[in-house]
Amino acid sequence: MLVDALKSEAYRISRNRTAIFCSVLLTPLLIIVGGLIYLLMTKAKGDALAAKANLPVELGNQPVNLAEAFGFAAGNGANGVLLVFMLLAAAAVYAGDYRWETWRLISARNGRPWLLLGKIGVMKALAMIAMLTTLVAAFIYFISQALVTGRPMSFDLTDFKLVEFLLTWLLSYIRIVQYGLIALLAAVVSRSLLAALFVPWALGFVQTILGGPLMPILGWSPADWASQLLMPGLAYDTLKAAVSPGPMPLPDGVVAKAITSLVLWCVVPVAASTAWFQRQDLSKE
Amino acid sequence: METVIEIRGLTKTYGTVKALDGLTLSIPRGGVYGILGPNGAGKSTLFRTLLGLIRPTEGEATVMGGRIGDPAATRRMGSMIETPRFPPFMTARQVLVWLGHAHGGVATADIEAWLKRVGLTEAADRRVRGFSVGMLQRLGVAAALMTKPDLVILDEPTSGMDPPGIQEMRALIRSLADDDGVTVILASHQLQEVERVCDRVAIFNKGKVITEGRVSDLTASGERLRLSVTPLAKAMAVLGDRATLDGDVLVANVPRTEAAATIRALVEAGVDIEEASWIGADLEDVFMSETGWTGVQGTPAKGTDHAG
Repeated sequence: MLVDALKSEAYRISRNRTAIFCSVLLTPLLIIVGGLIYLLMTKAKGDALAAKANLPVELGNQPVNLAEAFGFAAGNGANGVLLVFMLLAAAAVYAGDYRWETWRLISARNGRPWLLLGKIGVMKALAMIAMLTTLVAAFIYFISQALVTGRPMSFDLTDFKLVEFLLTWLLSYIRIVQYGLIALLAAVVSRSLLAALFVPWALGFVQTILGGPLMPILGWSPADWASQLLMPGLAYDTLKAAVSPGPMPLPDGVVAKAITSLVLWCVVPVAASTAWFQRQDLSKE
Repeated sequence: METVIEIRGLTKTYGTVKALDGLTLSIPRGGVYGILGPNGAGKSTLFRTLLGLIRPTEGEATVMGGRIGDPAATRRMGSMIETPRFPPFMTARQVLVWLGHAHGGVATADIEAWLKRVGLTEAADRRVRGFSVGMLQRLGVAAALMTKPDLVILDEPTSGMDPPGIQEMRALIRSLADDDGVTVILASHQLQEVERVCDRVAIFNKGKVITEGRVSDLTASGERLRLSVTPLAKAMAVLGDRATLDGDVLVANVPRTEAAATIRALVEAGVDIEEASWIGADLEDVFMSETGWTGVQGTPAKGTDHAG
């Protein structure tokens, strides 16, 4: 039953070119194009400065290490641009049946929990594909950097930390999936494509305000339970900092709070959506 | 009688409105079963309930032996409820492949065969966003039937179709029942279509069944005796409220079993009978009579106290 739900949902989203382009291809394209523009502008500026100061060319001739693409892709896997574009696919997957009035076609063919799990499975796969295309884009960016600057290329894994990379990759992946799950809850409760698109976006915006200028006004600390539980974005940043420790140590117990927050923000939307969907009148798509 | 659907006391309430009001109905296996009723009679609500799209407020029903909403039972059903809608970015063929996956897989040959059978082969690779209502109906029928269901619910399947399409659809529905052994439940406002295609019908009004039976029995019960008589006034006096006038012809509302006695009573009263014949009732007459519908919007329907 789950297999049927996964197959049908995967087939349908694969035919939705707009959703596929936005979720999987647009961010990598922006990374490549934006990166190239940045490289060309930086090179032009650098060349001018070097010529003016009469600096030797060898100064900027260190090899470009392509292995750094791994860290770049994992660390930026859940960047804001990707999250916004992933929401387009999430809205199509989670709210499409309300929008196109197609629940009546598929709900008689499978159990309702399986249908939702099928959609979640497809979104998880899309999130992973989006991260992999981001990784490819990162490689292209680093190769472009070598070509534009004329520096040699290398693939040096000496400083590569596999566990750190895998954990960062996993965190970014969970962050993308979790954003999609908020879209799922919004879609099921509201039956609206627009709500599936904008509720997670609005939530992200509110978190930015809460986590930034409003936090000191409210007297909250990033290490508080309230901050971690109310702001999954903060929990994600906390765990990223725990995986790649900086000079400032993290407060005691904050990692556990952040893990709790991320787990809750994944489990609660799924449980609430499933419970709601199970009782929902699907004739009013 | 083996049944595919058993409904007992089914009620569905929206606020203060009862879309289904203690509905009880058994639908036998095999043949084409028509469901008739004016708009708002509860036909679509019943279909949605049987498909598990909505939950009844009270009562219970079994479909193919399973409780409503049981996927094992509903997977044996095909359905097309009102004008079907599909993801607009998909082609007709892709729609069938997608729904085939949702059903556990349908062979490509079957999909192609159904596209051909509903006349969509040439439009198979066109996106459905450009389809007419009639084409959407055809695709909806193919989607409902390609999984070889045992029971099919078709709600207004000829809506938006051109006359040849309507004829093809009628033939298809009959062949499903006669050749493939599928039980077809058909809702339609086209009473002639129902009369031609269905074996049994149930007439709904205000969420209840007000009459049910074989089409031939229902229309036979509405037969009337047409008499050319003189003097007309005397004949009217003999028959009382069982007689109405159609021009200068008397129409007697008597069953066949009482025809001989009626004619004898007229003759004994000194009425000359020049001609006597039976006027057959059609389903439209039965429908009008049972629902109290006159075709004028807002006309109150007949009481609903003979619900089954």
